[in-house]
Amino acid sequence: MADPQLPEAAASAPRPTGQGFGRVLVTVYGLFALAATARSVVQIATKFDEAPIAYLLSALAAVIYIVATVALARGDRTSRRVATVAITIELVGVLVVGLLSLAIPRDFPSASVWSGFGSGYGFIPLVLPFVGLWWLRRTR
Amino acid sequence: MTGPFATAIIVASLLLCGWAVVLVIANRAPGRALLAAGAVLELLLVAFLVGGIVQMVGSERDFARAEFVGYLLACAAVIPVAAWWVRDEKSRAAAGVLAVVFLVLPVLVIRVQQVWAGSVG
Repeated sequence: MADPQLPEAAASAPRPTGQGFGRVLVTVYGLFALAATARSVVQIATKFDEAPIAYLLSALAAVIYIVATVALARGDRTSRRVATVAITIELVGVLVVGLLSLAIPRDFPSASVWSGFGSGYGFIPLVLPFVGLWWLRRTR
Repeated sequence: MTGPFATAIIVASLLLCGWAVVLVIANRAPGRALLAAGAVLELLLVAFLVGGIVQMVGSERDFARAEFVGYLLACAAVIPVAAWWVRDEKSRAAAGVLAVVFLVLPVLVIRVQQVWAGSVG
């Protein structure tokens, strides 16, 4: 009886997160995944001893952006859950690292995309998780 | 790496970004003309990559060579990846994606120049 072709079934299924505006969102996430990963690789490869905790947070940021990018692009049920978790960590991360980088700047020599609430990247890292969570809610 | 060629890439990319923004506002997907223009810009970026590596190999200076090549590769990669990502998108979102990419490219080119000059890294 449960015909997946029925309109009701289609209406109850979540809309894909990687289409429409989601295309643009995934693009921005992908660019930050690239930027954060490249930055983190350089830091860990060349000067890890200078600020290990900051550079590990930098690597965490890179992983979070990669996970969020892939999950938003895929957009199935599991991916939505993964994206929600990743973007929530991203939100907490940008707020905590932003605060820490202002409170103890000595240990955060502009170490990650989240330093100064993403001031080195036009504060987009601060806005992005809010947009991401809004988009997940919007497409539910 | 700071010559008129890099400047031409920056100007072309910003023009294409403006074009893509107009399409977003007009609620239209990118047509063949914008894709063709993007392909021409991509050719310039591949030449930028090759020229950059040739200049790097011919230089004795000390600068962050791995980062330099990384930024050059990123410059050459973003348009093909974006084109692949919007291949099935028939809405203005495809133009939105291209607008983002054409806005980021000048930043990447400027980073290439900064690394070449040795002020980054």
